[in-house]
Amino acid sequence: MTQTENPTKARAPRRRSRWNATDLGLIAVFAALVAGSALIAAIPVGGLGVPITLQTLAVMLTGLALGPARAFAAVGLYLLLGFAGLPIFSGGRSGLGVLAGPSAGYIIGFLLAATAVGWLAVVVLARTAKRTGKLRPILLFAAAMVSSIIFIHGLGILGMMVNAKLDFSKAFLADLAFYPGDIIKNVLAVSIALALHKAFPDLLLRRVRTADTRP
Amino acid sequence: MSSHGLLLAAYVPGSSLIHRAPLWLKFLLVVGCGMASFLIADWAVSAVVMTLLCGLFLLSGAGPARLLRAVRPVLPVLLAIGLFQWWQLGAPTAARIVLNVLVCVVAASILTATTPVQALLDGVASLARPFRRFGADPERFALTIAIMLRSIPFVAGAYMDVRDSARARGLERNPRALVLPVFISTVAFARQTGEALAARGLGEPEDPED
Repeated sequence: MTQTENPTKARAPRRRSRWNATDLGLIAVFAALVAGSALIAAIPVGGLGVPITLQTLAVMLTGLALGPARAFAAVGLYLLLGFAGLPIFSGGRSGLGVLAGPSAGYIIGFLLAATAVGWLAVVVLARTAKRTGKLRPILLFAAAMVSSIIFIHGLGILGMMVNAKLDFSKAFLADLAFYPGDIIKNVLAVSIALALHKAFPDLLLRRVRTADTRP
Repeated sequence: MSSHGLLLAAYVPGSSLIHRAPLWLKFLLVVGCGMASFLIADWAVSAVVMTLLCGLFLLSGAGPARLLRAVRPVLPVLLAIGLFQWWQLGAPTAARIVLNVLVCVVAASILTATTPVQALLDGVASLARPFRRFGADPERFALTIAIMLRSIPFVAGAYMDVRDSARARGLERNPRALVLPVFISTVAFARQTGEALAARGLGEPEDPED
């Protein structure tokens, strides 16, 4: 199987010049989507009214919808403009000062998690192209969970250890609070991603298929 | 949320020495403070640096209210960390940790309060210039930034529209009904934008291979 969407190759700028105008539009608008999801008021879910922000949902969905290279570019663009001073981080924060705060690890983790889940999504979608049934959503959910546990939670814990000087067990406990929301958001992200690929079949799937048939 | 409010949020117009300082110098200040926050081991040093930076911020004429607004988003978290570390590691260490984070936040807000957003974005776009020899295209990069900024109000508006229509149908507790239409219309918007760019000959790679 040949993979044109290999993240290490795609990250090299020579590859990037092959993106057409639609790719640029998708990258820019998904970056705006991540920003917008951080800014809107949290939505109360279920009877308990536990508020969740939609930012990690938007980040994971960017990966699931766009694949590794364009997801890396979209989330990277969001981070870059946030660091440059646009108030687009959650709670209206902005600037490089965010990197000194305890949530720095999560923000860096977004970039890697979106790339990782994008890469896994391409693999899953290509391998399950001919199958129908529950396998694809389950594998996509597993991909999203693995990426967010390793990168978002992993780096999030690391960030709290470095910036808030918590030791590992305390940072781990503080991070546990995010797990229930994350599981809900990943279920939601996979269900939305599948709907998106159904509504726009050439968003990522057809790219994968043409990549497979290419000699 | 209007795009204007977003773009003007942090900048305070003025003509102070700090306003006129070159962008790279202010950027260097922010990075330097970031580095320093890892190296400073004494809370008294942190407090001195913090005082200096606050003085610098006030020197720019932005006023104490702006300073307070810049640090307010991090205060609840810092309070929690400060109290916890006071209990765990003692007052001097807790003060050092909290002050070091504040130093970085104030330094970053000096940059954003004294630099117009357009100058900041031009600075970001010019970051791509050194990579031109590796195939990066600064103009396409700047174009992508511009599209993203234009799209943020669209995304915010889509969230509001969808929330209203979900409420009208009695679906305001269904997260999928609240979010899915936003993403569908966002992808459609992205592709329309791409087509509009392509129709104007913008954003396509310089020498297409196919």
